Amino acid sequence: MRAMRYAAWALAGAGVLALLLVQCGAAGGSPAGPAAGRGFNATDVMFLQMMVPHQGQGVRLVRMARGRPVRPEVATLTAAIETTQLSEIQSMTARLRVWKRPRAASAHEHAAHGGMPRTTEAELEALARAPAGRFEREFLNLLIAHQDDAVQLARMETGGGRDPWTRRLAVNVDRSRSAQITQMLAWLAAGPR
Amino acid sequence: MRSPRSRRVAAAAAAVPAATMVTVLTNSPPAAAHGSMSDPPSRVYVCKNEGPESPDSAACKAAVAVAGTQAFYDWNEVSLLEAGGRHREIIPDGQLCSAGRAKYRGLDLQRTDWPAKRVSPGTFTLTYHATAPHSNSNFEFYITRAGWAPSMPLRWSDLVHLRTFVNQNPTTFTQWTINLPQRTGRHLLYSIWQRVVGSAEAFYTCSDVDFGGGTTTPPPTSPPTPPPTSPPPTSPPPTTPPPTTPPPTTPPSGGTWAAGTAYSVGATVSYNGISYVCLQAHTAIAGWEPPNTPALWRTA
Repeated sequence: MRAMRYAAWALAGAGVLALLLVQCGAAGGSPAGPAAGRGFNATDVMFLQMMVPHQGQGVRLVRMARGRPVRPEVATLTAAIETTQLSEIQSMTARLRVWKRPRAASAHEHAAHGGMPRTTEAELEALARAPAGRFEREFLNLLIAHQDDAVQLARMETGGGRDPWTRRLAVNVDRSRSAQITQMLAWLAAGPR
Repeated sequence: MRSPRSRRVAAAAAAVPAATMVTVLTNSPPAAAHGSMSDPPSRVYVCKNEGPESPDSAACKAAVAVAGTQAFYDWNEVSLLEAGGRHREIIPDGQLCSAGRAKYRGLDLQRTDWPAKRVSPGTFTLTYHATAPHSNSNFEFYITRAGWAPSMPLRWSDLVHLRTFVNQNPTTFTQWTINLPQRTGRHLLYSIWQRVVGSAEAFYTCSDVDFGGGTTTPPPTSPPTPPPTSPPPTSPPPTTPPPTTPPPTTPPSGGTWAAGTAYSVGATVSYNGISYVCLQAHTAIAGWEPPNTPALWRTA
């Protein structure tokens, strides 16, 4: 069970960041390779390819709060996270399509860094089983960790990406997720609902 | 039982056309970096080994109660991608063990009962566990100053530099030998793994060590923080950072968009001279400006 949980959330962690990191290392902020001359580089591509599944997983996570005992502010925030991240997924996917790049990184790259998580079922089920008195806290902690990883992904792009649209997106991912984390920490510090 | 890794590999392989794989393979990167200090074990390593779902020590229980289990599944990623040697600029005092990351904030708990390895002054060999070692890295090692105690926040000025090994090529388990100075009681061995080539990423570790003879170690029968067997899951421990976010305000319709404001469906705002209508109730935050969030706002 632990292994499965780890597998599920490795997306947010090891596999995803490792890939992005290394790819950025390969790109190094100096556009090269097949993307050279087209206004985007390997870091842009990898950022989007990593963010699409990461965002998708985030959407699944925030949907866990539906119908569960959370304070109204939490419900409002998570509903807004759901729609904004779905919208971003559409934009990012469209960008990759324009660039004629696959929606996700290759199996080889994922395999080399722990693999592409297939499912988050185990983790989400554990959260779903959390008793009412613990649900909100466990939910917020998972979401904080998830968005904290998104901030790291975004900073890779702002550090090594080239495409202005993608860089702007990363800046806004960084700012909005950081603000969400601040808000969620404040709710946790304020005590249970 | 198949390992999670093989399952994920199989799934990913099935999802990607072979032609695509070949294309990307030509640019495929080398292994990425991940790791933490395993001896003396870092706080995240201790709790990971105890098991994120059922930690044994009061300190790990408290860390999970405060910040959840995710940090310990991702134990080898207490890192900052953009560090590039600017550790002291980007990690605030008091948050050195978490690298300033909310996900890892449980590691910053100021407790005197973190499991600690007994050590003595003099030659000391430590071990670093890199699940994804990366060549050409610098490893810096520090010890807390005499007079520091784990009940205090860890600040950069509390760290005394011991040794830096540059341009290292770590393996999965790498050992370095350093000299520990005279100290009394509990201290922290702090490390920074700074990648040099290909990434600005750095990794941070806090390992509790005990030189003995100290007065900071409490008697084992009276832990100072939540009881080991039943941390109160629904109330935050006293060490949680204080909230700083003001409550949302409700504005008159038609004003200028502002972070911290609660908007309901149909509310109108102006942003950079353009009028927008709110599509979904939310509290505005930085990064969710109307032109950035078509899911939340449309132009009026």
